[in-house]
Amino acid sequence: MTVDRTRIPSDSSPQRLACAALLLLAACTRQREQEPPAQAPEIVIGVLADLTGPTSDVGRLYHEGMLACIDDLNARGGIQHRRLRALSDDYGYKVPVAEEKYKKYVQSAAVAVQGWGTGDSEALRRKVAGDELPFMSASYAEVLTDPQQSPYNFVVAATYSDQIRIALDQIAAADPGAQVAVFHHDSPFGNAPIADGKQWIASRGYQLGYQDYAMRSGATDFVASLQRAQAQGAKYLIVQNVASPAATLARDIAAQKLDMKVVCLNWCSDELFIQLAGAAAEGAWMVQPFAPPSVPKPGHAPVRQYLAAKGLDLDAQGVHFVQGWYTMQVMASGLEQALAGGELTGKSLRSALEHMAPVDTGGVIGSVRFSPQSHRGASSAGVYVVQNGKLVERNAPAAPRS
Amino acid sequence: MSAQATGIHHTSYAAELALRHTPAEKLRLALLIALLLGLPWCLNGYWLGIVNGIVLSAIGAVGLNLLVGFTGQISLGHGGFLAVGAFTSALLTTRAGWPLPASAGAATLLSAALGAFVGLPALRLEGVYLAIATLASQQIIEFVICRWSWLTGGQGFLDVPRLALFGERASRGSFERGWYWLLLSVAVPAVLAARNLFRSALGRSLMAVRDHDVAAASIGIDVGRAKLTAFALSSGYAGLVGALTAAYAEVVSWERFTLDTSIQYLGMIIVGGLGSVAGSIYGAVFIGLLPPLLAELAALAPGSGARLSAQLPALQLGAFGLAIVLFLLCEPRGIDQLWRRAKDYFGFWPFRY
Repeated sequence: MTVDRTRIPSDSSPQRLACAALLLLAACTRQREQEPPAQAPEIVIGVLADLTGPTSDVGRLYHEGMLACIDDLNARGGIQHRRLRALSDDYGYKVPVAEEKYKKYVQSAAVAVQGWGTGDSEALRRKVAGDELPFMSASYAEVLTDPQQSPYNFVVAATYSDQIRIALDQIAAADPGAQVAVFHHDSPFGNAPIADGKQWIASRGYQLGYQDYAMRSGATDFVASLQRAQAQGAKYLIVQNVASPAATLARDIAAQKLDMKVVCLNWCSDELFIQLAGAAAEGAWMVQPFAPPSVPKPGHAPVRQYLAAKGLDLDAQGVHFVQGWYTMQVMASGLEQALAGGELTGKSLRSALEHMAPVDTGGVIGSVRFSPQSHRGASSAGVYVVQNGKLVERNAPAAPRS
Repeated sequence: MSAQATGIHHTSYAAELALRHTPAEKLRLALLIALLLGLPWCLNGYWLGIVNGIVLSAIGAVGLNLLVGFTGQISLGHGGFLAVGAFTSALLTTRAGWPLPASAGAATLLSAALGAFVGLPALRLEGVYLAIATLASQQIIEFVICRWSWLTGGQGFLDVPRLALFGERASRGSFERGWYWLLLSVAVPAVLAARNLFRSALGRSLMAVRDHDVAAASIGIDVGRAKLTAFALSSGYAGLVGALTAAYAEVVSWERFTLDTSIQYLGMIIVGGLGSVAGSIYGAVFIGLLPPLLAELAALAPGSGARLSAQLPALQLGAFGLAIVLFLLCEPRGIDQLWRRAKDYFGFWPFRY
């Protein structure tokens, strides 16, 4: 790429000069404060969401659930008479944008941050520890549960590793000598539970075969990988990926008439997978820590009630809405406890979350309990099976067999 | 033709070599220094964080401009070299316990060496073919950092402990300000080095290669060597930025160094001005400020604020694309040229030229 040095620039027009001047002004003048300082009684929470990025299909529902929970809490008079204010931002699943938004939350005196994906949770892990801001997200990576490594991260539901353990328990019970293929997103999110699954088979003495296959991002079919899995003799395909590639995989299996059962971990265990895969979804197993609306639990009632008042239906919103709602609910319980104990700071909120009584989620995630030694809120997940386009409970929520 | 100040004579060689001669130039320098020194005192943590991001990308953009703007070699692999720098520095800091200056230095050198290696196809390829070759390097580096579990101990990311200066770790309040001074103290020498490079024989040989490689070879310039030097220098700058980014962000993961990053850097130097050190900085400022300023504008918009905010990422991406297209159409030499024209306008006034 060369620059034409011989060209004499055309004469300068006033508009261009004005543009340049404006630009310089914009760059040089002091910007106004990003957010007005939080009023004393409000509790500020930063909420990162993916509304336009690659995971926006589920991210939007999770985010809506979270905001709905805040709205509901405020309608009930807030927490200890203090209203919650969510600073919610779409970061499009881009780590640098998440970091920029995070700085805004710190500046706006947020006391907690609700994140979203693996990327932002990992990128902000050290930051929240340094800034003493409790952080929850929808990334259920094992490393986030260890207070030694991630002192301000809290994980409300069973980790990916626990989910794969539960899936393996179920497979071993159904077919002790089966070959298992793990199809996973080609990223740290996808790789997260693979080694733990292998270890689980060895430590439990299962006779299962185990092989992992990366699912290339943006692939339109997985026929080649399926052929390799067929050569392995795989009967069960554990899928650690989001709904749309998982649905493509299920459709490929149906089209090839392969005798394989899809076992989804939580990011494809949803209504979206069933909708996208259609008939191919029938019979698939789903390991999901959050009870879907099609399997009624007492914990669904307040969510259903809130939505009904707005003229909406929980069944249409789906499991990720519930997931967002209850993640916020657990944070709210911590806030309540911290406020009851006196001053609300990131540090006091962390201590409150660690010491509060188990949070009853009405059977949606079981009871969520943290301690100073472990930020693993729960380790149980239900196993559901797709029947007539609906999630039906196969096994009640249970932790991996110990 | 640009306006030249008249009546300047030098009484020593040193004075002639100075970067700035006229009172106006010195005044502007003084204003710039005052601005840089004053910024941390009049910005809050959020905006200072954005400024820190801009300072980091300014160093990277200067590096890329050495290669693309001054030597005429296209590269789509800048993000990859940032990754090499970041991972090298983070590994040396966390596993070997090296202090930041040593690990950043090593990261710079390693990235430079790798850059020279990746630049080898440039000896045979030009234009779009070279672009694809560098794109391959970006993809290979991304693939390696994603898959090589030794790098991150199987976690997928690397933690870097918060930087401690003289045994003191920055608190929430002073973090951005401390980093601002640190980054500035690296950026200023890096930019001055690049500025001076093009007053040296090496820098001029790079420009000769860009303008006409055959002519350059005919006057005794080793074209291959010049191209590889440019690749090494450019990647070295990227490695330095990567190392600083790792320490600043306190975590290194592959998501930060994708093709998007490389494209963004190219956008910066196109908007700022190809073949201009100052232009790289203008570009970094423009691209760095565009998204947060748009977010501010969207928040200010009456009534439709919420709807605008919902579309913000799309708007920001659209504005990025639009800015590049507008600059390519209206002013291919970027903001730097706009600035020169503004100076000329006043320099020649009341005459047009």
